[in-house]
Amino acid sequence: MISAYILISMQPGKTDKAIKEMRQIDNVAKISIIAGEYDIVVRAQVKNLEELLDVTDKLQTIDGINKTTTQIIEKEISLQ
Amino acid sequence: MIIRKKYLIYILAIASSFIAAAVTALDSYVGAQSPFIKDPWAFAFGLFFVGAIITILIILMLSIPIHGKSIGSKILDPSFKRIRFIHKKELTNHLIAGLMNAVNTVGYCAIVSQVQDPSVILSFSQIVILYLLLMESITEKDVPTLVEVQSSVIVTFGAILASISLTGGFQFMPILLVFIVVNPTWAVFSIYQRKLKIMKIRNRPNDSINIRFWNVVFTLFFTTIILFIKDIFSSSNHLISGLTSSIHPYYFLLLATTMGTTFFAYVLYIRALGLGKASVNNAIRASTIIFAIPFSILLLKLGYITEFSTDPVMLLIKIIGMILIILGIVSFALTIIKAYIFISIKPGYSSRETMKSLWAIRGVTHVTVTAGRYDFIVKVSTRTLMKGYERIIRKLDEIDAIKKYHWESVLKEWEKI
Repeated sequence: MISAYILISMQPGKTDKAIKEMRQIDNVAKISIIAGEYDIVVRAQVKNLEELLDVTDKLQTIDGINKTTTQIIEKEISLQ
Repeated sequence: MIIRKKYLIYILAIASSFIAAAVTALDSYVGAQSPFIKDPWAFAFGLFFVGAIITILIILMLSIPIHGKSIGSKILDPSFKRIRFIHKKELTNHLIAGLMNAVNTVGYCAIVSQVQDPSVILSFSQIVILYLLLMESITEKDVPTLVEVQSSVIVTFGAILASISLTGGFQFMPILLVFIVVNPTWAVFSIYQRKLKIMKIRNRPNDSINIRFWNVVFTLFFTTIILFIKDIFSSSNHLISGLTSSIHPYYFLLLATTMGTTFFAYVLYIRALGLGKASVNNAIRASTIIFAIPFSILLLKLGYITEFSTDPVMLLIKIIGMILIILGIVSFALTIIKAYIFISIKPGYSSRETMKSLWAIRGVTHVTVTAGRYDFIVKVSTRTLMKGYERIIRKLDEIDAIKKYHWESVLKEWEKI
């Protein structure tokens, strides 16, 4: 299983509609709206890199998304 | 389904408390059956003896795979695969949790056997939230914030007011049993169930279904030992009485119903423990007192319990208690702050060592080493921004390897459940 964070910059005023579409994408495990350099962080869980490409492709076709930056997780420690 | 992240713990804990309220009503009915009303110790043994049998049947059903995933993982806990033996590193935690659950149940039985109306005494068991705050400040090295203390005190006193009954007399010994047996054992039990839930087994998150199953097994083991010792020293016959009542078809069915329902309440509670501290979970679970009302009315309609007081002062006290519980829970829910910290490190520093330093910071809930623009993405959780600065930012500044970082607060969050 491969996990990745996809950091997204949005056009102003299109976040709510974009979030609705993101919630329909398979392999999206978590969506966070954040305040700062980025607007949204999406956590994807996929079986292989091909599936990760599908997720980023689907994200990039959503209206209002300006830019995506993908960070693949190499190692993780978590409380949950 | 993707839902708001912060709601997940509340959904799990409140669903658990709703089922627990149903279990309390069932317990009142089962406990009032002739073999158990005469011998509450036999009732305790019967619960875990039949509970172990019914739990194994449920867990076997939940292990059946459908389209590559077990039924249990689809409906109860995504971490569950199938029934399994406990891992070596779980053993100590299971032994402690099982012993505490057994002593807690025996303490409960001792109270029930001494007082006619246990609700007079057992409402004081809500003070367990304060015990948990104290214990967590030691075991999780996490000093509670003022908001946590305030919310816990509000919920605790609300729960006492909402559940207290004026029908029974005050007796010193049963109160003492609540304070020195029931509350501490429940607090330790909750802390060790949480430890088990946040443990990773073969690189996978531990699942609440196997945790509950093994807890029932260990609790049965310790309950048997405690009753065996009691039978020897007091020349009583609780163990045999519990066993013979349990194998009677009618009582077996009743015990199986109550323990089968309890299974689901506990699995959801253990899952919620994996998401938040035991004190917060127990505060949310105090809502059981509110959910118990419709079940009490049902039992009253069916004639299983006697009519309760409709004295306006009593009703006012109970309503104030319920308002306090709701206020306390809402106050817990609205005061958590989460943030991502994106970190770049200087060349020449080990990622593994930096990861350890980041994980050691209080309030850090996730540390991920990532490939891309940033070297680490860290997730933090804090009750106040000031605490976030004092505990997290100051500690980040002390880590030599960090070249730069930026904090991005989470405004809203959804998570797949």
